[in-house]
Amino acid sequence: MWTLGFLVILSLALGIGAWLLFVWSVKSGQYEDPEGPKYRMLDDDDDDEGRKPGG
Amino acid sequence: MLRCDHCLLEFPEREAVRDAGPGGEKVFCCAGCRGIYRLIVEEGLQRFYSGRDWKEPGLPVAPGSARVDAASFQGAVRDADRLRELDVYVDGIRCASCVWLNERLLARTPGVTFARVNYATHRARVRFDPERTSLETVLGRIAAAGYAPKPYSEAEGYAARRAEARDLLVRFGTAAFLSSQLMIYSVALYAGTFQGIDPSTRRLMEWVALSLALPVFFYSGAPFLTGAARGLRRLRFDMDALIVLGSGAALGYSAWAMAAGREVYFDTAAMIVTLVLLGRYVEARAKGRASEAVSRLAALVPRVARLVVRGADGRDERRTVPVAEARPGDRLEVVPGERVPLDGAVESGASEVDESLVTGESRPVAKGPGAAVVGGSVNLHGSFVLRVTRVGKETVLAGIIRAVEEAQAAKPRIQALADRVVGVFVPAVLLLAAATVAFHLARGATGPGALMIGVSVVVIACPCSLGLATPIAVLLATGMASARGILVKGGDVLEEAGRATDVVLDKTGTLTCGRPVLREVVALDPALSRDGALALAAAVERRSEHAFGKAVVEAARSPGAAPLPEAEGFRAVPGRGVLATVAGARVAAGNRALLAGLGVPVPGEAGARARRYEEAGDTVARLAMDGRAVALLVVSDVVRDEAPEALRALRDLGLGLAVASGDNRATTESVAARLGIPRALSEAAPARKREIVAEMQASGRRVVAVGDGVNDAPLLAEASVGVAMGRGTDVTLESAGAVLVRDDLRLLPDLLRLARRTRSVIRQNVFWAFFYNAVAIPLAMAGLLHPIVAAAAMAASSLFVVGNSLRIRRVW
Repeated sequence: MWTLGFLVILSLALGIGAWLLFVWSVKSGQYEDPEGPKYRMLDDDDDDEGRKPGG
Repeated sequence: MLRCDHCLLEFPEREAVRDAGPGGEKVFCCAGCRGIYRLIVEEGLQRFYSGRDWKEPGLPVAPGSARVDAASFQGAVRDADRLRELDVYVDGIRCASCVWLNERLLARTPGVTFARVNYATHRARVRFDPERTSLETVLGRIAAAGYAPKPYSEAEGYAARRAEARDLLVRFGTAAFLSSQLMIYSVALYAGTFQGIDPSTRRLMEWVALSLALPVFFYSGAPFLTGAARGLRRLRFDMDALIVLGSGAALGYSAWAMAAGREVYFDTAAMIVTLVLLGRYVEARAKGRASEAVSRLAALVPRVARLVVRGADGRDERRTVPVAEARPGDRLEVVPGERVPLDGAVESGASEVDESLVTGESRPVAKGPGAAVVGGSVNLHGSFVLRVTRVGKETVLAGIIRAVEEAQAAKPRIQALADRVVGVFVPAVLLLAAATVAFHLARGATGPGALMIGVSVVVIACPCSLGLATPIAVLLATGMASARGILVKGGDVLEEAGRATDVVLDKTGTLTCGRPVLREVVALDPALSRDGALALAAAVERRSEHAFGKAVVEAARSPGAAPLPEAEGFRAVPGRGVLATVAGARVAAGNRALLAGLGVPVPGEAGARARRYEEAGDTVARLAMDGRAVALLVVSDVVRDEAPEALRALRDLGLGLAVASGDNRATTESVAARLGIPRALSEAAPARKREIVAEMQASGRRVVAVGDGVNDAPLLAEASVGVAMGRGTDVTLESAGAVLVRDDLRLLPDLLRLARRTRSVIRQNVFWAFFYNAVAIPLAMAGLLHPIVAAAAMAASSLFVVGNSLRIRRVW
């Protein structure tokens, strides 16, 4: 019984972790541009992405 | 013919602009394209050319000519920790390489710290340091590459809708996560039923299941709870009520069953909410995307005017002001290609104005001092200053918008098929449940026992896949439509279009191209060939800014034509025509009055022929050389190439056709006759067009109206389904339910075929959604329902609904 309870709690904890990740991904706007990543992935030259001012 | 290495347009060889670069010699159609090419090469971004995938040649704006008006972007700039953040819509993006090019060009601008273009919406977000660069520089970079930056204004409604879609996503994600966890415990409980289970283990499983199901119902299901409460206050049983009823009954029953030691239905309660939320989310996304695309098309129209004010030194100064700030009596300047911002009277200058979008009149109208101009019409050439006579709600345009709003408000809200079924289904289930309770009580069951059997009827009757039946079909259909260049604003548009019986088409810009094209050259002098006459006319007209002249020059520049001779001593006679000397011969091209004024006789037969054309609504120019009439040039707004094919397809679909135009009778009827349209309604003002459709619909017809102009907007709003052509005005786009973005009339039958298919698939889906649950209802009535049956019914109907929806893809 104790093992079962432990496993239940463990699975819920893992699930809640995944759920929190999901909520974060929605809030940070990762579903706003579903098209982009498949093209950006093919860009070799990331040289000027996130370039600092003056760079 | 050569093909421009930048914009891919074909052009005659003599106009080529060449550039010898490190990558070999390139040819361009104009210096502007060469400039863009050089810029791209200088920045080391040639990869753009190998990666791009342009389906259509040409640039959205003529390179170099685009003056970017930074003033209209002020609203799109925000402060973001010492930097400025700009949202700008980049018109002209056609492929992933365009996005890449814009991002790189912007990121390499000194002072820009961040540049990202959204692939789906073509919105660029740029962060820049206002001390090191300026808004003008940033916009100038986009324009320099041949793209057109436009203010990205997001209407409040769309921002709210996006927030709603995001909220639905979080609720759905949460419900999906909890339901999947819940399923683990439910399966354990099912297994326990068959294999036996330790009572304390079972109790643990049930408690966990209960604690997982509660947030699904109360948090994820909150939109349904509020929706159902709102509906019930008005005594309406809608989808929300059905979901709350089914899911709530399952939850309540299970809580009681835990105490009574019976089977629990927590998984059913949670799955209903989860699947319906999925449907809602899918629907919100499909709808939001199309509406956003339409509002973006509409937002491309500038809403600023150039105010002319007398400065302190007595000279005129020009200031850009929002249209809303202009007052009657103000003087506004309108340059060629611009839309007239407000109603007014021309004070100085002269031009020709295309009023077709406002009135439906297909021919350009000449405007001199004193003439009234209508806001929304397009200035073709020549600048003029107008004195504003009407602003705000009194303008012609505002009157039309008011008519659109009236039509929209008066239109009964179309109830989706699923909602109509639910309205009948919910009371029926409740009655059935009550009858079941009464039956079991009469047979001597205990009160709580009979009640629980009644509740189990409600639990099984709730078809969770009903929430998927429409959205999945609509998602697939709108996705297919947008891949073809049709934007559909929602499922109700598809359902209505699937039931259409008639199509009413606007003429100018919808059945026709909406601009004059040279249709015929009649040579009167045997010594002069058709091509010779055309070349002669084009040589003279080349200097003319007149729409007529452009049509002639365009025709003369067709593939294989000889270079145009040079014209000297060009002179335009306003309202009459043009004069010049070509290769020593005095050439005149113009109307009857011009030739009469020059004393050139036109042979009787030719004169009669010209008048016949004019009566049919065409414009005819008489070409004279050295005092003799040598040719007639017939220019008219021609029927779109694809129109006959599109209309044939519509007739094959069994639809009744009619044309409604604001243009004169002769023109309208000749177009209708040429296309075989039985009903032609001419000289119809916007209000009259709306009446025509309203009358047809009152007699039970369902009308699809197609148009492009502002004058068509009330018609589109009144019709069961309004379809706007992609080049339509903002008002038209907003009032329509669907937009043919690709501006091809053949998309219309495609849309209607897709709509019919979608409608029939939705009907089948609704049937399958109910089917399995209906089969299980007798089991519940007999008191023999088991949670596994409920779960199986749910899974089977959902699979059928999704699988059946996929059949939509085979429509074309």
